[in-house]
Amino acid sequence: MAEGFDIDHLAKLARLSLTAEEKALYASQLGQVLGHFQALAKADLPATADDARVVDESALRSDEPGPVLGVEAVTRLAPASRDGQISVPRVVDDES
Amino acid sequence: MSQAPSDWEVVIGLEVHVQLRTRAKVFASSPWGFGKEPNEQVDPVVLGLPGTLPVVNREAVEKAVLFGLVVGAEIPERCAWDRKNYFYPDNPKNYQLTQKDFPVVVGGRVEIELPGPSRNVMGEHRFVRIHHAHLEEDVGKLSHAGGGSLVDYNRAGVPLLEIVTEPDLRSAAEAEAFLRSLVAMLTQAGVADCDMEKGQLRCDCNVSVRRRGDARLGTRTETKNLNSISSVRDTVLHETARQVRELEAGRSITQETRGWNAELARGYVLRDKEDAHDYRYFPDPDIPALRISRETVARLAKQVPENLYDRQRRYVEKLGLPYTAASVLVNDRALAEWFEAAVAAHPANPSGVANLVANDLLRDLSAAVPPIPLSACPIRPASLAGLVKLTDEGVISKQQAKEVFAEMFSTGNEAAAIVDAKGLRQNSDTGELEKIIREVVADPSVAKSIAEYRAGNEKAINALKGPIMKRTQGKANPGLVDQLLRRILG
Repeated sequence: MAEGFDIDHLAKLARLSLTAEEKALYASQLGQVLGHFQALAKADLPATADDARVVDESALRSDEPGPVLGVEAVTRLAPASRDGQISVPRVVDDES
Repeated sequence: MSQAPSDWEVVIGLEVHVQLRTRAKVFASSPWGFGKEPNEQVDPVVLGLPGTLPVVNREAVEKAVLFGLVVGAEIPERCAWDRKNYFYPDNPKNYQLTQKDFPVVVGGRVEIELPGPSRNVMGEHRFVRIHHAHLEEDVGKLSHAGGGSLVDYNRAGVPLLEIVTEPDLRSAAEAEAFLRSLVAMLTQAGVADCDMEKGQLRCDCNVSVRRRGDARLGTRTETKNLNSISSVRDTVLHETARQVRELEAGRSITQETRGWNAELARGYVLRDKEDAHDYRYFPDPDIPALRISRETVARLAKQVPENLYDRQRRYVEKLGLPYTAASVLVNDRALAEWFEAAVAAHPANPSGVANLVANDLLRDLSAAVPPIPLSACPIRPASLAGLVKLTDEGVISKQQAKEVFAEMFSTGNEAAAIVDAKGLRQNSDTGELEKIIREVVADPSVAKSIAEYRAGNEKAINALKGPIMKRTQGKANPGLVDQLLRRILG
């Protein structure tokens, strides 16, 4: 397993249930990806390299409301709905 | 409930989430607003459907920058957005777009005013430092019904500014004062409406306690999603008492996330969203970092209104207003500007104007059914100034001014016109008045009072004023009556 991550923990965070074989495979593949990024991180780049991903305010959107999907279209996207709302298994974050 | 025992000190930091005043959402063009049917205000970008691309709303950025300028913060040249990953149904994309490392606002401070010893005495002023504020998207709303939960995504994607303080607050009263001051600043600058009944301002409250004099901070708990100032105050009071009780019993404080049940007035431990602390933040690949030009910052700086406490100091020190009136006026920018327009029309007596605005006008506006907003006030600032001027010049008495005010409020007419129409002008004609006074004084029925007055009983003179006012149908100028009466009685 590559250093820097725990495949079991990542699988749990991603809500994935993996077999032992899959864990080994993904750990190896993810290790390669991370290794690649570690190599990139070591590259000696000028401080302005980041600027390629910086835009100015002309890239902003004006505050004009646009069209909406409509309640029916929204609820149709979900496996279950009720009274125009999306129905999910009970999630509890309150005292009840 | 009392404050922490004196050998304990409470340390509070707040994270205040404020919905910014925009028409469209922060990364999507879907409109948003209160009182819509569930899921009416949702578009594909809000849901994060495949192929959609979020684009940042200029107005949301500018409102965030404006807030920064209001609190004297730094506006970094560059800000950027990150994905905060978690699985929870309030979040349609499984990540929330937020700013982790490069927030739009860094630093700044908010002046607060603590309650004084009484309502007419100003309390202590302090500054609370802002750590930073970041621009993110609000999440959907869950409600629980029967065996399941229902999700409404109208709120998802609403521009949310999270304002994070330094742990500078030391009491429930300070937390309350901070929130009041912050709300005034946000609303006066037009950054946000902060209507707490509509959930436009929500607060997470970090509380820890330590022995007084201890430099290290104690273990803190975070109470989430408080939607009123009173809930923040109550949470601080209860959490302080609870932590002190635990520590004094020899137990330790667990770093935990808590909720507050306002109905039962008690806190509780939130069942942790599993691994919620591990959000695996990474820079959002869809939204490039944004460079905010110094020209934009300079333009927005011109929109920063006068700070409410600077205004209060100006009213008290330069205009000579009593603190009670000044503090009422400065809390509402429109009201303060209304007052200033009236003072501009009659600069000789700002206190007289302030008194009518802060007492009579506010009372009648709110007592109306339905209450009248200041923007629809039937009296114009210059008209109110006219009323104060008539009173100052002795044309009508203060008592009559109340009557004229009521008439102005119900008809919108000018003070002078009402005074004339009702024949209220005080009789200041010395000749006519003197004649009436001499007649009254000559009446044998008042001879006893006159004798008493001449014998040195000052108050006895009042017995003569009644019949004089009656003869003039209340129109005589009381000051003039007094003056003439004393001269005639010698």
